[in-house]
Amino acid sequence: MASTRNLKRVAGKLGFAVSIFVLVSPAILVFLWMLSLSLKNDADNTAFPPIFIPNPPTLDNFRDVFAKNNFLLYLWNSILVTGGAVAVGLLVGVPAGYGIARAKSAKFAFLILIARITPALSYLIPLFLVFQLIGLNGTITALLVTHLVITVPIIVWVMIGYFENVPMELEDAALVDGASPWQGFRHIALPLARPGIIVGAILAFIFSWNNFIFSVVLGGKTTRTLPSAIYNVLTFEQISWGPLAAAALLVTLPVLLLTVVAQRQIVAGLSAGGLKDG
Amino acid sequence: MAKVEIASLSKRYGENFVVKDLSIEIPQGEFLVLLGPSGCGKTTTLRMIAGFVEPSSGQITLGGRDVTTLPPWKRNTGLVFQSYALFPHLTVDENVAFGLEMRKLPAAERRENVAEALRLVRLEGFGERLPRQLSGGQQQRVALARALAFRPDVLLLDEPLSNLDAKLREEVRVEIRELQQKLGLTTVMVTHDQDEALSMADRLVVMSQGEVRQIGTQRDLYERPADRFVAGFVGRSNFLAGQCEGDGAFISAGGLRMACTAGVRGKGTLALRPEAVSVGPEAAHLDNSFEGVVEYISYLGSVLDVRVRLAPQDRIIVQIANRSGEVLPKMGDTLKVGWPATSGRVFAEES
Repeated sequence: MASTRNLKRVAGKLGFAVSIFVLVSPAILVFLWMLSLSLKNDADNTAFPPIFIPNPPTLDNFRDVFAKNNFLLYLWNSILVTGGAVAVGLLVGVPAGYGIARAKSAKFAFLILIARITPALSYLIPLFLVFQLIGLNGTITALLVTHLVITVPIIVWVMIGYFENVPMELEDAALVDGASPWQGFRHIALPLARPGIIVGAILAFIFSWNNFIFSVVLGGKTTRTLPSAIYNVLTFEQISWGPLAAAALLVTLPVLLLTVVAQRQIVAGLSAGGLKDG
Repeated sequence: MAKVEIASLSKRYGENFVVKDLSIEIPQGEFLVLLGPSGCGKTTTLRMIAGFVEPSSGQITLGGRDVTTLPPWKRNTGLVFQSYALFPHLTVDENVAFGLEMRKLPAAERRENVAEALRLVRLEGFGERLPRQLSGGQQQRVALARALAFRPDVLLLDEPLSNLDAKLREEVRVEIRELQQKLGLTTVMVTHDQDEALSMADRLVVMSQGEVRQIGTQRDLYERPADRFVAGFVGRSNFLAGQCEGDGAFISAGGLRMACTAGVRGKGTLALRPEAVSVGPEAAHLDNSFEGVVEYISYLGSVLDVRVRLAPQDRIIVQIANRSGEVLPKMGDTLKVGWPATSGRVFAEES
């Protein structure tokens, strides 16, 4: 009896593992293939039938990325644009989310949602014209401002949800204790919505970091962000898969690391918040 | 602590009055309870005193200071919420210190006040804990300490005991009342629980549908209710429908003639407390004396509730003390009941 039950349990676990594998395999396999490409030499990368395991593995492609392209410059551009857009997004978006949540302003929330849904492309032409007019085309500032289109709605949207979860009574308690509305926000609502700030910042970072089209159109030769800079690795003569995969991996790395860290932060935030208490 | 004066205070949304023309003076050190069913405007009144709700008209004065238009943070009131509303990310110490910090008190003085407040609610040594590490009763006491730490002009309690279990509630009632008396706190409490209201208050305000029905002590409300609502809401009453003759006589729907308090004429109601009714031989000597059939008996331990049918339309509940050795009535028995004229209070039919 006991052994059949054990068998059943093992079979159940196995089935679970297989179904998980099937579900995530498209994402994982693409990633693994990219990893494989980045570690193989050029000959192996174009070989048929394809070779999966690099033999011997080489770091040439990574060296190539740093040597031939101005990778560090583009990395710095990306950091400036995304970092700036997330920072400004937080500065604007957190109070905005608070205001919308407290005023129960469905209209503004909807407006933000529309901004989030609208394809980024539709902002591009007007922004391009405006930047041309004031001579900002091809500057980091222009890119940063454009990326606010990405970061602000995400942050506001996430913050609305978190602030709505902070009971109104807590702020009433702060007010009656002598705190001004600003102090109530600063000392009570803000710390309690901290997990939301982290989640919002991370999501905004990921979307902004991955954005491609703004930089392609608005970025100058030296002011591109990483994704559009990698696009330039694709040349007309041939596609150098190795360096391309290496560069793509390097671009993905921060986002990847962040997600791993964020997962912990989000879980920690949820269990530490304890808004149900009190 | 200070005196609170409320002058013709009203709150209205459109044509709908939530609180209508409330006037009361609360002397320093008085424990006032706003009592009424939900939706009677008691909480709105409290929130107007705290400053969360702007009155439509009227004036609120705390210790001679007109606070009607001041925001909550400039009023210096202490409020204990029904949910306690402790700041979950702050320790007990930080919770209690919050109001002092907002008032920019120096750190040394702050520590002293916090320790004093926690000592008052018997929570010394709990300062480092977070609210979620405390029991419901302890959280409630932290909320009280937080409301007292900055020495408010008036202490406001919004159904502070409704989240506690029944046994603890009775203990905390006494504790709050003792603390209130010791410190001479001017206190306004809102509750729908009449036991709680009666056991804690110096004076009560009975409200219904935004209007004040009666203001008075427990005894005023119980023995001289102003209207039928108060008679039914504070304590229990039998209500008999009928006709008031105006001269102290009442003809019930069942055609019984009863002696009662004078004053009202026309269609009305006679209110009679179940414990004011005597049974057995002694009932015969009272102003009103009837015979009825026992229809139903609830054995409640210390007392029995006996429903007696005096006439097909007239039934009253009679409360009998359960003394040992006495023969208790049984269902179907014929029982003599009687009460003095002064126990039967008549009210005109409410429009």
